[in-house]
Amino acid sequence: MELNDANLQSLTEFLRKTLDPDPTVRRPAEKFLESVEGNQNYPLLLLTLLEKSQDNVIRVCAAVTFKNYIKRNWRIVEDEPNKVSDPDRTAIKANIINLMLSSPEQIQKQLSDAISIIGREDFPQKWPDLLTEMVTRFRSGDFHIINGVLRTAHSLFKRYRHEFKSNELWSEIKLVLDTFALPLTELFKATIELCQTHATDVNALKVLFSSLTLISKLFYSLNFQDLPEFFEDNMETWMTNFHGLLTLDNKLLQTDDEEEAGLLELLKSQICDNAALYAQKYDEEFQPYLPRFVTAIWNLLVSTGQEVKYDLLVSNAIQFLASVCERPHYKHLFEDQNTLTSICEKVIVPNMEFRSADEEAFEDNSEEYIRRDLEGSDIDTRRRAACDLVRGLCKFFEGPVTAIFSGYVNSMLTEYAKNPGENWKHKDAAIYLVTSLASKAQTQKHGITQANELVNLNEFFVNHILTDLKSPNVNEFPVLKADAIKYVMIFRSQLPKEQLLQAVPLLISHLQAESTVEHTYAAHALERLFTMRGPNNTTLITAAEMAPFTEQLLNNLFKALAFPGSAENEYIMKAIMRSFSLLQETIVPYIPTLIGQLTHKLLLVSKNPSKPHFNHYLFESLCLSVRITCKANPTTVSSFEEALFPVFTEILQNDVQEFLPYVFQVMSLLLEIHSNSIPSTYMALFPHLLLPVLWERTGNIPPLVRLLQAYLEKGGATIAGSAADKIPGLLGVFQKLIASKANDHQGFYLLNSIIEHMPPESITQYRKQIFILLFQRLQSSKTTKFIKSFLVFINLYCVKYGAIALQEIFDSIQPKMFGMVLEKIIIPEVQKVSGAVEKKICAVGIIKILTECPAMMDTEYTKLWTPLLQALIGLFELPEDDSIPDDEHFIDIEDTPGYQTAFSQLAFAGKKEHDPIGDAVGNPKILLAQSLHKLSTACPGRVPSMLSTSLNAEALQYLQGYLQAATVQLV
Amino acid sequence: MPTKNVTDERLGKFKNKGKDPAKLREKRISECVELRKAHKNESFMKRRNVTLSSLPDEDALSPDYSTDAVSVYSIEDIIKDVNDHNKEAQTRGCQAARKLLSQESNPPLKEIIDAGLLSRFVSFLGMNDEPTLQFEAAWALTNIASGTSWHTQQVVESGAVPAFISLLASPMLHISEQAVWALGNIAGDGSASRDILIECNVIPALLARISPDTPVGYLRNLTWTLSNLCRNKNPCPPLSAVLQMLPSLIQLLHLSDKDILSDACWAISYLSDGENERIDVVVKTGIVPRLVELMGHRELSVMTPALRSIGNIVSGSDQQTQAAIDAGVLNILPQVMRHPKASVQKEAAWALSNIAAGPCKQIQQLITCGLLPPLVEQLRNGDFKTQREAVWAVTNFTSGGTVEQVVSLVQSGALEAIINLLQVKDSKVILVILDAVNNVFMAAEKLGEMDKLSLLVEELGGLDRIEMLQNHDNEMIYRAAHNLIEKYFCGNEVEEVKVDSTEDAFEFRTADVPRTFEF
Repeated sequence: MELNDANLQSLTEFLRKTLDPDPTVRRPAEKFLESVEGNQNYPLLLLTLLEKSQDNVIRVCAAVTFKNYIKRNWRIVEDEPNKVSDPDRTAIKANIINLMLSSPEQIQKQLSDAISIIGREDFPQKWPDLLTEMVTRFRSGDFHIINGVLRTAHSLFKRYRHEFKSNELWSEIKLVLDTFALPLTELFKATIELCQTHATDVNALKVLFSSLTLISKLFYSLNFQDLPEFFEDNMETWMTNFHGLLTLDNKLLQTDDEEEAGLLELLKSQICDNAALYAQKYDEEFQPYLPRFVTAIWNLLVSTGQEVKYDLLVSNAIQFLASVCERPHYKHLFEDQNTLTSICEKVIVPNMEFRSADEEAFEDNSEEYIRRDLEGSDIDTRRRAACDLVRGLCKFFEGPVTAIFSGYVNSMLTEYAKNPGENWKHKDAAIYLVTSLASKAQTQKHGITQANELVNLNEFFVNHILTDLKSPNVNEFPVLKADAIKYVMIFRSQLPKEQLLQAVPLLISHLQAESTVEHTYAAHALERLFTMRGPNNTTLITAAEMAPFTEQLLNNLFKALAFPGSAENEYIMKAIMRSFSLLQETIVPYIPTLIGQLTHKLLLVSKNPSKPHFNHYLFESLCLSVRITCKANPTTVSSFEEALFPVFTEILQNDVQEFLPYVFQVMSLLLEIHSNSIPSTYMALFPHLLLPVLWERTGNIPPLVRLLQAYLEKGGATIAGSAADKIPGLLGVFQKLIASKANDHQGFYLLNSIIEHMPPESITQYRKQIFILLFQRLQSSKTTKFIKSFLVFINLYCVKYGAIALQEIFDSIQPKMFGMVLEKIIIPEVQKVSGAVEKKICAVGIIKILTECPAMMDTEYTKLWTPLLQALIGLFELPEDDSIPDDEHFIDIEDTPGYQTAFSQLAFAGKKEHDPIGDAVGNPKILLAQSLHKLSTACPGRVPSMLSTSLNAEALQYLQGYLQAATVQLV
Repeated sequence: MPTKNVTDERLGKFKNKGKDPAKLREKRISECVELRKAHKNESFMKRRNVTLSSLPDEDALSPDYSTDAVSVYSIEDIIKDVNDHNKEAQTRGCQAARKLLSQESNPPLKEIIDAGLLSRFVSFLGMNDEPTLQFEAAWALTNIASGTSWHTQQVVESGAVPAFISLLASPMLHISEQAVWALGNIAGDGSASRDILIECNVIPALLARISPDTPVGYLRNLTWTLSNLCRNKNPCPPLSAVLQMLPSLIQLLHLSDKDILSDACWAISYLSDGENERIDVVVKTGIVPRLVELMGHRELSVMTPALRSIGNIVSGSDQQTQAAIDAGVLNILPQVMRHPKASVQKEAAWALSNIAAGPCKQIQQLITCGLLPPLVEQLRNGDFKTQREAVWAVTNFTSGGTVEQVVSLVQSGALEAIINLLQVKDSKVILVILDAVNNVFMAAEKLGEMDKLSLLVEELGGLDRIEMLQNHDNEMIYRAAHNLIEKYFCGNEVEEVKVDSTEDAFEFRTADVPRTFEF
């Protein structure tokens, strides 16, 4: 590609096309550009355009395209071709700084990003003059250029804030410090002087203050890893000026915008961060300056308004105080009663007040409000910061702080009592204050677990919380109602049970409140109360205690789902699930109505599933209904099938992907309740379950396997009879699963069920192929997980079909195969099998091989007899071998059976563990003794002689123990 | 955990953990690139303007040619006098030169060197019958050798080394002491100069001066010079030299003078800062109990190097650590951990972190001796550098300790303290804490108390912090935090369904490949 006008012209045309809204024009142009970007000079053409094009749109477009090109191509990846030619690299690096600095802001930002991408790869070794080139611009006096340099430096250096210490990183930082620290300091001083000279020129000030903010950010990055010698020597300059800036207020820079932080706020916020960094990491050196900063930041807080634009600044500033006040050697800065009072009064209380922005969220954006207030996503809020400060101060001053706040709480409550309609926000703040003062430790599961002993929570509950809960009009003062409900919820572990029982019916009636936050909190509080544990690990609140309220509880929960905005409220649905689980058989009379409502809901949400948690709890509730009802009376299962199958059919027909794993689980649960027969409705569905499209989605695999297992268990004979043509399809599923390292264990689950439940003759013709597939997989990619499952399977096969059948089928595939499997797989690996049932299957299978397989006695396999016995005794007596070969360490964790993240498992659809051997063998060790005894009587003398030749002494001792326990002797 | 690679780098520095012997070299963090000012309380590598202890009254020694003549005495005058044949002029010139070179700021070292005076000074050193000249020349050279490495090199290249070594034997104590001092400056310059001295047999000559009658002041200088002969790595001083010096150093360590003790301890700290074989040489002398005793010395200048030496020793093998434990280091460590000076606390925490990297028997001794309370105090209130070491101690403890030991660590409040530290502004420390938290969970898993621990961590505010760390810019931290949440805090909460988007049934058949199975 030549750097000529024709190429510039054609590139311009293509760039213009990439902006076209019509994809048939845009896409080919984008494709074309990508196809030519490997050519030499391509990036230089872009740079030329962004500099010289007459069309501003094209200039910006070229800049963006250039940056993306750099992002994709600049890095040199090992073993891959260099995607940018060396002359282009050199030319770009030679020109880009100048170009960036002389471009308008829009283009400057793109180029600045590009520089930092290049810098990340090339700086410092392959771009040694970058810094000096940048630093010389500081002297230009043009703050447009200076800010460009600062911004670029910031994007180059900000990684120092999160990367690990290493010699390479620190060498780079050292180099940066050597060239950059002094000029930056000079620039800092000069900029501050200029601010004074231009104190009345608002436009100049704006530019200067953005420089100061950038300089402060650079300070943070350069000081992050450790305190550099240069900055230690120049601490006086930096800290004095930072302190000055913190206390500075310039009317000209104040903004009218209430939301967006202005330049002053951004700068001060960064300075707070810088001070916090020094206070935390370089305390020894920073100590002389710290008290000044504490005072300045505290004054800043006292004089800063309530507007949202100050939020970040206030939260940073409070966090700074919070981190300092809990350090023992700064205790004295806060100790004075007046100081404490003033901090409480002027910093903490104002920042805990309910602001109009909170009120708006409460009414119009309840989801966001709940997330912040209930789920703790309030990290950067003022309230959270104020809470942290309270907690910090309580470390040394719990008594005085509690006393000061108690006074405040009382006066706020008095204010409220004077005129609740007008002053309800005072009570809100009072409750918030009590909460933050009292809570020392908190968990989702238990609420507050440790409380400040100086706060009488019960008394406050009785005097101030219960009154709101009892108020007959649930729609009055919804914020206070929500506060009261939350109080019960978070202090549930602190309040006596009687109080909680008193609260339950009140909470139930608040489910009817129109306010979304309020009825959501009520549902959530009930749900949390129902999970509390009492003595004996039963639920604290019992079904019997709930009996008087059961009907109203269920009614109100379902009614709450009818409120606009709560149709898919996950808290309510979770409360429904929890209520079912608590109330158990008490709900049976209501089930006919409830199941109707739940299926109706299911039908609605299946049109457009959008709330995964809601849907999950909905299915859990369905499972609970089924389990609870059918536990008492299994025949009712058909009525559930009648109610649910029409909806399920729709879900299946419309292929509602999110719901399929749930539907399969509920169906498994239903089918497993049937005694050994399979209704025709299920059989009609059988062919559909084998459709490949279903198996392509990983989330379907575990529940579908489970469902097919249920089919096989209940209807193995039916399938063999009326759906024999589907057996190859079923085995096809097995083949598909076995091929995948992630799903092979699922394939084995299926195969084991086939072996266990299908009539043997129905699969005779496929057996050999099954084994061949397994051997192929064993040969091509042998993993520990596969071997474990494989061992369980062949032993199950041996148990079911006999040892001779196993040996014959192996040897029919390849001569001496049986011996090879014994020697290479079973004997060395059986110790790795995990799980009690799995071990038992292997033990019984191996016993059969040892004692019921003539080939083991009279052929060349005989030499394997004692090693196999030894391995079996090892399986009984040695700890499980959980070692994994080195080359398997990088297999994803998902590859281990039992770990299924991509699968929405329903807790209440749980499956009982299945033991195919069951009571037939009580103790495999006894079975071994008895079987050996039988073998030895059949061929006297052989067994003892095999034992004495090569079984090791320890194993022999164990074996003798088994024989004694079984009271048999070998002959 | 995927954090392995990064923590490995430091873990490699703990005994038992790193198998790569090359990494052992990096045991001391100060060997890495430093951004900070050099340590303020390390001993000096070179010294200028030391008052000689054995210096007789100056007037009695030689007539002072110029009380305030430095200003009037120009370099040209000096050059002229030094090059003169007249002994008196030479002496006058030398004295003026050493006074000029002794001035506080910018002594004209280079000018004197460029004037070619060094070889003259060196030749004066041999003039045993002119003690004053000898002395003044030695002093001038000493001052030059106290300059930069280049300055010292010039002194060495002018042939001063053998001359100074001969001068050690001077019957005039102050002249001998001047030589000791000069040799100390040369030795402190670096491995190369140090080894030149050693090859010239400086050690026997120095040691010969140690006797019960040697004045304390002289011994101080001599000890300092010996310490510089032990100093510097890449390479370390030859083992034979170390073995020569050790018996005398051990002797000196049993004296009571604080300056002698300080430098002797520094010498031991240099010798023990290296591979385990080097540590072994020190441990075998039986000096460890005395070093432990000196860790409790009231003088900071003594306790600091003693603590450093012990710190080095416990970074060695388990046996070497055991030697320090047997000598009672764990009894004195609690009080050292609580020393008012942050730098001492940090050094003590570093030593503790290495003991905690040992086998569980040693960890048990650490618990028995009451080290957990001061460890937790430092985690809570210590200076950041100390906190960092203390965090390493916790992580090492949790990775090597038994389940019971980890439980007592948690009960001592360490878990709460490290969780609080998750907000520090240091990525490595955060990652190391996450590792420790993971280790504690593994212990809880063995006790079947994972749920209990999850709740405890949540109560302590740990869950919030770990959740926040999932937004950390550092990918390793993000992943470590994410893993902890996934593994221990998901409980029965719902996982999002992730499904990949793609006729009748799968085909069941085997491929027609010619097959011979071989496993």
